[in-house]
Parts: sequence; structure tokens; C-alpha cells
Amino acid sequence: MGILRLGHVDVTVTDLDLATAYYTEVIGLLETERDEDSVYLKCWDEPNHHSLRLTYGPRVGFDQMSFRVEHESDLDVFENRVQKWGYPVRRVSKGEAVGQGESIRFETPSGQQMELVHDMEMVGRATAPINPAPFVEGLKGIAPPRLDHLLVTAEEVGDSAKFYMDVFGFRLTEQLLDGAGHQSAVWMETSHSPHDLAIVTGKNGGLHHFAWWLDDWDHVRRSADILAYNGIQIDVGPTRHGITRGNTIYFFDPLGTRNEVFTGGYRPDPDFPTITWTEDSIGRAVFYYEGELNQRFMSVHT
Amino acid sequence: MSILRLSHVEIRVPDLELATAYYTEVVGMYETAREPDRVFLKCWDEHQHHSLILTFAPTYGLNHMGWKVEHSSDLDDYAERLEAAGVAVTRYADGQGGPGHGESIRFSLPSGHVMELVHGMEQVGNLLPNTNPPPRPMGLVGFAPPRIDHIFLTCEDVGLNTRFLVDVLGFHLTEQIVGEDGFQVATWLEVSHASHDIALVTGQDRGLHHFAWWVDDWNAIRDTADTLAYHGVRIETNPTRHGATRGHCLYFFDPAGNRNEVFTGGYVVDPDEPAVTWTESEMGRAIFYYDGVVNQRFLTVHS
Repeated sequence: MGILRLGHVDVTVTDLDLATAYYTEVIGLLETERDEDSVYLKCWDEPNHHSLRLTYGPRVGFDQMSFRVEHESDLDVFENRVQKWGYPVRRVSKGEAVGQGESIRFETPSGQQMELVHDMEMVGRATAPINPAPFVEGLKGIAPPRLDHLLVTAEEVGDSAKFYMDVFGFRLTEQLLDGAGHQSAVWMETSHSPHDLAIVTGKNGGLHHFAWWLDDWDHVRRSADILAYNGIQIDVGPTRHGITRGNTIYFFDPLGTRNEVFTGGYRPDPDFPTITWTEDSIGRAVFYYEGELNQRFMSVHT
Repeated sequence: MSILRLSHVEIRVPDLELATAYYTEVVGMYETAREPDRVFLKCWDEHQHHSLILTFAPTYGLNHMGWKVEHSSDLDDYAERLEAAGVAVTRYADGQGGPGHGESIRFSLPSGHVMELVHGMEQVGNLLPNTNPPPRPMGLVGFAPPRIDHIFLTCEDVGLNTRFLVDVLGFHLTEQIVGEDGFQVATWLEVSHASHDIALVTGQDRGLHHFAWWVDDWNAIRDTADTLAYHGVRIETNPTRHGATRGHCLYFFDPAGNRNEVFTGGYVVDPDEPAVTWTESEMGRAIFYYDGVVNQRFLTVHS
């Protein structure tokens, strides 16, 4: 019972062809399906139908974040809990959404659209199911093996974190406290990783970034090479986070959505004691090598 | 209710001082407690009291493996399930298993391996503060792996023991080598979304093939090989890659003859993903992807 991991992120793009070219050629995602106004993409090592949906729209934006639950029956349990919290839940039946079965959708206290789904169409990893080679030849771009986490913005981080923890059982791994002792950012997990979902103070409904997993620091360097070669705007990095200890690069897709590649971190048990960062250490907390934040990183989101 | 991960391994060593020197100076684990016949050790990034127990004995090998459960009540639930399957279960009160150990239940796999489920082991903290921690401690000794990762056992009937782990304990089969006769030669299983937390290979019952620590990446595997060679530790298999699990690895022996491994890589799985199958003809690549063959020592030597 419970949320397994981040399943897919759905974003709106103002140029579907440009965005698709970037996500397939520079990032190296694989296109699994396309309809009139949406493109569905997955990483090479993901077995499910998609982990990113691009939808054409007049304005760049964040449509929803979708988490995968362990059992179909978890949807009933979570539907109940979200409704008890005072938020209406919509059932999406099988066939209504591409590449997946029944799901529930609702708005979170900080205004993001969230979906829970169990039944994702299995299209298989790019490796063979019998005697597979440990990697795939001929991948393009960065070719991350999988989607890892996302960071959303909220006006009231503390209230928002309470919702995810009480309703879905997210566990708080790290928190950044302001001078008054209030949470200005939180990192939470459900999958024994340092974070599956993080929240930082900002506008309600916003997406700060979503991130793919990479194998190691060497893969981070190779990603920086590929991004620079393709003229992609790098926001920060390669560098290291104090929080999560991960190695990272932040950059923007051609339409302005922030992306991250991430590796490292640690493996917490559910009883992991929460790590606290104080306001005077915020620079090292976010960028351990630089020791300070840049203004763009703090203010730009979609 | 669930088993979270491999918690600890208890191995026999005929020279407790020599083994302790190896595990603290070469591997770089930390001693957290000591009794006349036992030494308790943990890795730097582990929060729990111990992940390795060295027990003085005239020979080498595995005494038991411990697995962490999420809730105290899980011990009752698993005991009930095991007893319903006809397995005898012994209960140990908090601390009865040793300093900082927590409460536990013990039972045997069909292969005779002693398995423990444990809850409430003392949290001693990793080597970093809980407020504004740097990403790693300075001055670590040896190759200093952050944590224990998995265990690999030998048994006469891999299929039977795999079914036991899956049906009674809720493990998920991720990979298998299937012989030409249709029987499982080796299996890999997980409970923590990793490529494997335990693996079984055909061999003698109660045998320990190896236990492994996690390291960050391929560079850390090279550094480990440097450290081992410097200290004159016998390296069995050079830095290489597994086909099964896709992990990068390096095998070596502790001074008592227990096989150790450092491991990194692999993949993340959901609990419902179908298993990858290796056929017997590709067994060489399944085990050592670069070499394509398995050396005889790797197949026959265990403790």
C-alpha cells in the first residue's frame, strides 16, 4: 500500500515540435505515442508507457504530477483521505488517458494538479527481457535511465508538506528553516531515496523543476558537454547539493521549463532522522560548492 | 508491513583481532561495540548500531543474516505467516541479540540459512550532524563504503528457496538463470526497489557466497581495488560488470576467507515488474559481462 514513486510529469509547451526535438535529441527520451496535441515520452530504462507528457498550449505551464501507487485498491484509500482533507477528487476511467488505466486526480493545497495511478501500460525497458546487455547502444543525447523527482512551489510550505505526509505517507528527509523556525523548503520521499518530491516557497501551483536520474558524476559531466554543445541555457552546475548530497546540473528546455539531472544522495529508511538546514547556511544547503544562491534559481519557475 | 532491507550479517572468523583490523582499517567500518567473542561494526553512512557482526569461531562462514522490518508488529505478522507455513520461529527480546540489537525473530530457510527479522535496532547516527551536514565526512579510512547492500547465498535447491522468499516473505524476483533442464540455477530478489537485496546460486546448503557493500560509482570501485592491492588483500575478480543486475563489482576475500564484494549501479524496479531471464548458455555474461566466462573459483569457493 502506498505511493511507489513519481510516475510522470505533464507540462504545456508553446511549440510542440521544438519541445519534442529537444526532449528526444538533446535529453534522449524515446517517443512512445503522439496524438493531435500531445507527445508521450519515456526514458530508455523505464518499463512504463511514459514519464513525460508534452501538450501544446498557448502558455508554458505545469499540468500535473502523477505518482504510481502499489495496488489498484490504493486509489480508493487515497480518494477517501483526500476528500476528508476537503479536496474534491475526480476519477479518470480507463481509456480516458493515454497509456494508463484508472486514476484519481485532485488539486493539492498549494494548487498543483496531482494524479495517482496504478495501472500504467508496460511497454518494456529498451533492454531485452532475456539475456539483456547491461546498456543500450545508439542512444541519443544525455539518455538518462529514468525520471527521478520534482520540486514544486507553494506559498505555505509547512501546510503543504503536512498534506503530503498525512494523506500519502511521504516522509520528511530534509528541511530548510527560516529565521523564525518555519519551513521554507522541504524534501520528502516514499522510495528510500533522499527525495521524490520537494517543495520550496513560491507561487502556488508552480513547478520549479523536474529531474532525471543519472548513473554517476561522470554522466553529469557528459551531460554538461551535451547541453553546451546544443546551446542549451545552463542555470547552475555541474555542482553539488548540501541537501540530498546529490550532484546536479540545472538547465532550461527551449520553452523555459527548468530541468535537472541528478545523481548520488543516500538511502534512508522510514525512520531516518530529518536533517535540518538553518537560514544562515542556505547557500551551502542548495549549492554546496558555490555557497550561495543565484537570484534566477530562486525566482524563476513555470 | 514489509521487510525494508538487509540489516546486518553475522560471520564467523577464527582470528577476531585480524578480522577486526581488516574490517576497520582496509574496509573502513566503525567499531560500535565489543564483547569477548564478538565485534560489532557499521559503515560511515549507516544510522543503525551495526551492519556486521564478527564472531570468533574455529572456522569461517555465515552465522545469520538480519533484515530490517518497518514496524514492531511486522515481527508478529511474519511469525504467524512462517508458523502457518510450518516454519519454527524463535523470538528474541530487545537487546537479547547483542548490544543495540532491538527485538527480533529467527528462523531457517529451507536451505538451513538462519534468517532474522529485526526491529528497533539502536540508532547511533551516521558520521554527519543532523543540522547543516557536509555531504561527506573527512578523514575516512580504507575504501569506506557508505552502507551494506546485499547478500548472496549458496543452496542445493534454488527454486525451492526462491519460492520460500517470494511466497512466505514477499520478496520480488528480478532476475534468474534458468538451466537447460528448466530449473533455476541462480535467482536475484529484492524488497527495496533495488536490482537485488539477496541472491541464491546453486551450491552447498547454508553456504555464504559473499556479502556486498554499496559504493557510489565505478570510480569508487577503482579506488577500492587500489586500497585492496595496497594492503595485500587477495582480489578474486578485477573491476568488472555483471550482466544480471547490470552492477559494477569487485570481489575479494577477508583474511578468514569470507568473500566480500563492492557493488554499484543496477536499476530501480517496481514490485510488479516481470523478471529478466538468463539462459544457461549465457551464464558467463550473466555473471561477468566483460569476461563472458565464470572462473571456477567463483563457482566453487564459498564460506
